[in-house]
Amino acid sequence: MSKFIQELVNGLTQGGLYALVALGYSMVYGVLKLLNFAHGDLYMVGAFVGYFVLQWFGGPTALVVPVPIVLACMFLISGVGVGGLGVAIERFAYRPLRDAPRIAPLITALGVSFLLENTMLLLFGASYRDYNTSAFIPFSTGIHIGGVNIWIVQIMVIVLSVALMFGLERIVTRTQLGRQMRAVATDREAAEMLGINVDYTISATFFLGSSLAGVAGVMAGLAFNNIYTLMGFILGLKAFTAAVVGGIGSIPGAMLGGFLIGLAEAFITGYVSSTYSNLIVFGILIAFMILRPTGLLGKVQLQKV
Amino acid sequence: MAVEPKESPGVGVDEWVARSAERKEYPPGWRGDVQRQFERVGWWPRLGLAAAVGVFIPLVIGLNSFQLQVGIDALLLAILALGLNVSVGWAGLLDLGYVAFYGFGAYGYALLSSNQLNPPNGIHWPAYFSIPLVMILAAGLGLAVGWPSRRLIGDYLAIITLFFGEAFVEFVNNVAPTKLGGPNGIIALDPLHGAHLQITTLTGYFYVLLALLVLSMAVLHMLDTSRAGRAWRAVREDPLAASVMTIPVNRVKLLAFAIGAMIAAMAGTVFAAQQSNVFPSNFDTPYLILIYAGLILGGAGSMSGAVLGGLLVSIVLDGFLRSPNQSSYIFYGVILITLLVKLRPWSRVAIVIGGTIVFGFVAHAIVGAISSTAVAGTAGANDWIDLHWAIVPANPVTFGNICFVALLCLVVTLTQVKGWWRTALMIPTLYVAACAWEARLSQVPAITRLLLLGAILIVVMAWRPAGLLGSKRVEVV
Amino acid sequence: MKVRISLAALAVTALVAAGCGSSNSTTTTSAATSATGTSTQAAASGGGSGSCAASIGIEAPLTGQVAVLGQEQLAFAKLAIADDNKANGTNITLVQGDTQLMPAQATTVTQQFISNNKIVGVVGPAGSQEVEAVGPLFGRAGLAFISGSATNPTLTTSGKNPTFFRTVSRDDVQGPQDAAFIVKHLHPKALMIVDDQEVYSTGLVSSMIPVFQKAGIKVDHESVSQKVTDFSSLVAKVTPDTTVVVLPWQVAANAQQFGKNLAEQKKNATIVGTDGTFSPSAFTTAGSYVSSFGPDITAIPADASIVTAAKAAFPKFGTFGPPIYAATHVLDEAIAAACKSGTPSRDNVLSAVKQTSEGTSILGQPIHFDTKGDLIDAKWFLFKINQQGKYTLVTGS
Repeated sequence: MSKFIQELVNGLTQGGLYALVALGYSMVYGVLKLLNFAHGDLYMVGAFVGYFVLQWFGGPTALVVPVPIVLACMFLISGVGVGGLGVAIERFAYRPLRDAPRIAPLITALGVSFLLENTMLLLFGASYRDYNTSAFIPFSTGIHIGGVNIWIVQIMVIVLSVALMFGLERIVTRTQLGRQMRAVATDREAAEMLGINVDYTISATFFLGSSLAGVAGVMAGLAFNNIYTLMGFILGLKAFTAAVVGGIGSIPGAMLGGFLIGLAEAFITGYVSSTYSNLIVFGILIAFMILRPTGLLGKVQLQKV
Repeated sequence: MAVEPKESPGVGVDEWVARSAERKEYPPGWRGDVQRQFERVGWWPRLGLAAAVGVFIPLVIGLNSFQLQVGIDALLLAILALGLNVSVGWAGLLDLGYVAFYGFGAYGYALLSSNQLNPPNGIHWPAYFSIPLVMILAAGLGLAVGWPSRRLIGDYLAIITLFFGEAFVEFVNNVAPTKLGGPNGIIALDPLHGAHLQITTLTGYFYVLLALLVLSMAVLHMLDTSRAGRAWRAVREDPLAASVMTIPVNRVKLLAFAIGAMIAAMAGTVFAAQQSNVFPSNFDTPYLILIYAGLILGGAGSMSGAVLGGLLVSIVLDGFLRSPNQSSYIFYGVILITLLVKLRPWSRVAIVIGGTIVFGFVAHAIVGAISSTAVAGTAGANDWIDLHWAIVPANPVTFGNICFVALLCLVVTLTQVKGWWRTALMIPTLYVAACAWEARLSQVPAITRLLLLGAILIVVMAWRPAGLLGSKRVEVV
Repeated sequence: MKVRISLAALAVTALVAAGCGSSNSTTTTSAATSATGTSTQAAASGGGSGSCAASIGIEAPLTGQVAVLGQEQLAFAKLAIADDNKANGTNITLVQGDTQLMPAQATTVTQQFISNNKIVGVVGPAGSQEVEAVGPLFGRAGLAFISGSATNPTLTTSGKNPTFFRTVSRDDVQGPQDAAFIVKHLHPKALMIVDDQEVYSTGLVSSMIPVFQKAGIKVDHESVSQKVTDFSSLVAKVTPDTTVVVLPWQVAANAQQFGKNLAEQKKNATIVGTDGTFSPSAFTTAGSYVSSFGPDITAIPADASIVTAAKAAFPKFGTFGPPIYAATHVLDEAIAAACKSGTPSRDNVLSAVKQTSEGTSILGQPIHFDTKGDLIDAKWFLFKINQQGKYTLVTGS
């Protein structure tokens, strides 16, 4: 039983990270119909930014300010910084291709991904950086009942991802900006004719999506300690998968897809086999996509003739 | 180039369609002339010409083994891009697991031409048995993978094919290690052999691949101009309309998958034979990215574009960018060429180039006066430039990094400003680029190679979104 | 516009000609050079400049998933060349080749090195499967190549790689010795052994499991990819009687994270790592054991200057750097010896390497190669990590 709960928590933690990055994928796809393959690398940049903020405050073993302030700073600086980077990438790389056939921005995104990964490699080297979170947030803080040990960082990751998702959902459904985003996602030309500033809306979408990825990166560093320049590559693929499985373009869907994939990985590794866990997860997802092609919460697209 | 209809609109002849050749847009000036002449020559003679060029390159220029290997890699990538073009360019299906078919072909050949299965003798079939068998099996696999495309469109199909691609690598890495080799792969494969002929030299494989490329292009051209090709184009543009016109959309999609898979498997078999081994890590997602880069850079939807893109990406990435001297040529050369071509009028070009040179000397002198270690210049790539013009400190790593980041910021700003500001900003940008190159980028060729690849992808896509040889799609509203 | 385009075309052809020209000058001489090192070689390799000029190539995963290992190897190779150039007065340069641990890329890089006739010796490649792919090529070219991390036994026993040497021991030495230590000194009733789906790891696992099974220990064989950075799901599978977890991994930071996951879930299992996880800066989980072929060079006084320089170049180094330093040093010495009696060529460097006899080295042991290319008398050390995270020697020669 304790193993079950442990795997549940592990799956939710990892799933929360997948979900946050998948949200960014979904949002950008919604407004631009662009699969932004550089999104995973934004997550990596966020992790590094958080690491350097931690070092600036004295490093994991010698923090000069209280832990909550450090955490808040890491999240804020990473979120804003990576968000800004996302906006710059959009303006510089994707905007010229806004009216190009859909496959062209895919290659630009790959180019941006290469640039990001290798710039980080050039500037900061290949060594793994270690957050060493247990030095300033000891393992004893958390829930420890029976054989179940849940660290407070895991709880924080899960709670924060869900909170951010609700916040995003609020923005998208209740605010003016959200309405504009949905309008641009539905029909860009019509939105423009209605007087919506499409450039600003798209930039705002990128900012939100990228800052979520940045925050996810910091959380990954806190929960999993090791960060390196290619950590975003695999995560980007899995988050893309989560976005599609949940129904691309749908925010609750991305969330659900992310958690589902995280849980599937955890339970299959824990109960079935670790050697074949990836294969089995892929198999399940393929079967799932065949049965429900539009994803969990995706809208069935009506084609107008 | 008016095409006069023989009689005024007969029954069943749509004048608008018949006169479509007149409406084709040609680029203005001499480029349009060249293109028109080119198209008059006819497709088959053009293919023959390209094949002849390919045949004569090793004979006339005399390539060494490295250049032959680069050529072989380039031809492989070109064949793969050609096959991917069938799914992506012609049928409009995003296939993200394509490299798995390549791996399937390689492993199929490996199992049939080595001691792996049925030890101790193994299976050693001649190439004319094993390659067609592997291709047919790959077509079957392609049908199986394409089967979900019945109900899926666009990005959902992309996901399934992505899973398939990842699953393939996991499968050959972890499942049945005694039969499939596991991470150790399968080694000691037979070279291509059959009917008392054996291909063991690099030149031999080069020609075999060239022949296969020409053969594939011929077959695909015949498909392209046949009903299947027209059906693919229709499905790509508007599947609903196509199905209304009685095109069997699902079967057409499956056909595209199967043919793409067959071409990839064929390339895979020759790859395995040439390398004489197969390992799972050769067929992972980074290689898929290269195939896509080649295809889309060259122009998806156009066969010659796919081939050209594949050749170009492979030759530039493997051949040129791997050696530091040649990377320097490419770096400075591309900058100079862009300036020459893009800046008008000539006075502006002169101002920018002259200004950069002067700026460089001035900056070098100023910094040299402040601190002599800052311009020690020993660490860079080109001695004279480092000592007298660019700023290369004795300890260049941090300075180089700063220059690189500054370069990125300057380039981004450059694209956002206009007019005289832009010309003025170009001068420090060029100088910072040279300093970043000399101080840092030329010292880490492996990283620089990938940085340049990323930059090339972004720039080429921004310049020509349809690819180098792709055509702008004319939308009829 | 016409003028510009034609100017651009002219510039492009000039570029291509220059590029091909600079590589063709190596072509024409390489055509004339045979494996026996004729006098054309003397003309080619900057003869007569007084100092001994030659090039060494390095094949390593400088970018890609395991860039951390390749960059460490590169840093140590550069260090060795700088030290030896100063000590011997030679002018040896390093040519980098990035393989991203993919055998197909290793083949291309190998062909590039073979065609560059300034290169008289190569260090690397890093992975055993890469060696399998390029061994015959180097053999045909008569070019010596020394790997610092390819541990698969068949590389030297198969006879397919005649010019291959290595400055590390083999899986069939490390695996059984580690397993024997675990059985004899740690007495687990059950243990978990996790491979990272790479050749190094699976080779060690297959040499260790039989020893455990013979001792009647219950073995749980798991597998996880190198790309994963969190192991909580695996750790949740560690049962209370699993007292030992064996991690024959290449990325020490991952072993550290595994240790953290164990602490987080309050599992009391001892980690036993192999030489890939040996890294006093990256893997410091208290109570763990790590085996290695070399002593901790940070504890060898004779290596102090190298250690300081290495820490400056690559702060968190482990066991991938020092063997490459040793390999590069072997090549440097071979080149210096060849220079004394003429000009360095692939042939005389190869024979000098075969006869290498270094009394001591950065690895704290003499370096001799046997006829197959293995390091003679490779030592085996076992360290335990104490409460302060320092490596203390438990046993070993």
